[in-house]
Amino acid sequence: MIFFQYLVNGLILGGLYACIATGFSLVWGVLSIINILHGSFIVLGAYIGIFSYTMLGIHPFVSVITAGIVLGALGYVVQLGIINRVVAQSVLVTLILTFGLELMMNNAMLVAFTADYRKVILEKSLGVLEIGNVFIAMDRAVATVIAFVLIFLLWLLMRLTSIGRAIVAVRFDREAASLMGIDVKKTYAITFALGGAMAGAAGSLMSVSFPISPLSGPLFLSKAFVICILGGVGSVPGAALGGLIFGMLESFGAVFFGAEYALTLAFIVLIILLLVRPHGLLGVKGF
Amino acid sequence: MTKPLLNVTNLTSGYGDIQVLWGIDFDIAEGEAVCLVGSNGAGKSTLLRTLSGLLPARTGEIQFRGESIANDTPKHILSAGIVHVPEGRRLFGPMSVIDNLLTGAYLRSDKAAIRQDLEQMMELFPILAERRHQAAGTLSGGEQQMCAIARGIMSRPKLLMIDELSLGLAPKVVDSLGEALRRIQQQGLSMLLVEQDVVTAFELTTRGIVLDSGRVKIIGPTSELSENPMVQQAYMGLM
Repeated sequence: MIFFQYLVNGLILGGLYACIATGFSLVWGVLSIINILHGSFIVLGAYIGIFSYTMLGIHPFVSVITAGIVLGALGYVVQLGIINRVVAQSVLVTLILTFGLELMMNNAMLVAFTADYRKVILEKSLGVLEIGNVFIAMDRAVATVIAFVLIFLLWLLMRLTSIGRAIVAVRFDREAASLMGIDVKKTYAITFALGGAMAGAAGSLMSVSFPISPLSGPLFLSKAFVICILGGVGSVPGAALGGLIFGMLESFGAVFFGAEYALTLAFIVLIILLLVRPHGLLGVKGF
Repeated sequence: MTKPLLNVTNLTSGYGDIQVLWGIDFDIAEGEAVCLVGSNGAGKSTLLRTLSGLLPARTGEIQFRGESIANDTPKHILSAGIVHVPEGRRLFGPMSVIDNLLTGAYLRSDKAAIRQDLEQMMELFPILAERRHQAAGTLSGGEQQMCAIARGIMSRPKLLMIDELSLGLAPKVVDSLGEALRRIQQQGLSMLLVEQDVVTAFELTTRGIVLDSGRVKIIGPTSELSENPMVQQAYMGLM
């Protein structure tokens, strides 16, 4: 049944997309920042995955950890040192700031890595699993599983730890949060770091499946944007659900309308959703 | 005389070009319950916001347990032992009651004691126990005020400041809140209560500060204030 093949493809894509979108959604929901840098964070994460493999022989699934840490640290510094200065201003101001930072980062990566598309070609691939008539590329499938594990860990962090509670508290009432002894600026930086870490990890996971160049950033960003609104801004489970839906749209959309219309289809669904359910599928929740 | 818990001298504060407080002097003793009354715009909330570090003190001194806390961050002031339950409760609406209370204990790391305090708050406000997993934003006004007070106490403060305890609440609810506050006070917690309803304020506290246009007009035992013709006329709707 070809239907199941598309379903599996959609699921596998969806997991990676969910991972792309969670960090973006968290930053948007908590800090009210539409982080244009997010796409470049993903690309840099992918380069960490690629170069760790080609130069050091480290598997990209292991580099998820280093990419997460490096991009998390970068996110923390960027928020604490730069974005915190204007974070209380309107969305437009922070949008322009992250847009400017994105231009700088994008050009820096073009100079450093050139515009060539690169991808990790694994020497020892996990191969293809065949169940009935459905083929599953195992490298991609494992990447998707790791993506969902990461999303689940983020959800646990938000749900069970005092940092998670601080992030939600700051999201809904900055001043009341500071009356609880929460350092608002530090909490913002931690939130941005989490967003960066998820982007970096997603990038490293993607490096196995997709060819990447510095110019891929805006494409990832636009997908994260749609997924985030589909699921509900700021919601971790929402981003996971949105990612899955987006993966399915691409997978089935490519079959029915052609691959070039996949993103168009996604935006059409987004517009319809905005008309029917403007707060996203899961609506406004704590996280 | 024993050293006061809180000592405020010549405090001024305000917003931008507007000065709201003009040379405020008062103190609060250990275990004492004091109310701050005055009409709209008298500077009651501004005073609380300056004490809790949300607003900078322009001049003057705030001493808490012998140490200066003027212009400290809200975090330091809270860890020193002053908690501010803001006007309008300001709960974290989508978070559960339990999570709101745990956020109140954000600066503490003694997990076992936090659990204990949580149970104590559920005892003090039994309705919160019933609603423990409910989103705080869905509680009634009175329940929200209970949750906000409990959230404040979760930081184990020495001084509990409550802004507008009874605003928008039914008399019966205010009575039960008052009963809970008396029980808290018996455990040695000091209180600074901002209240528009002067009759309620005088029932719950032993000393009152009357604020007028950003200045302290009268300070005295609430038993005397309630007999004072000026107070009766201006604030209690009598005569």
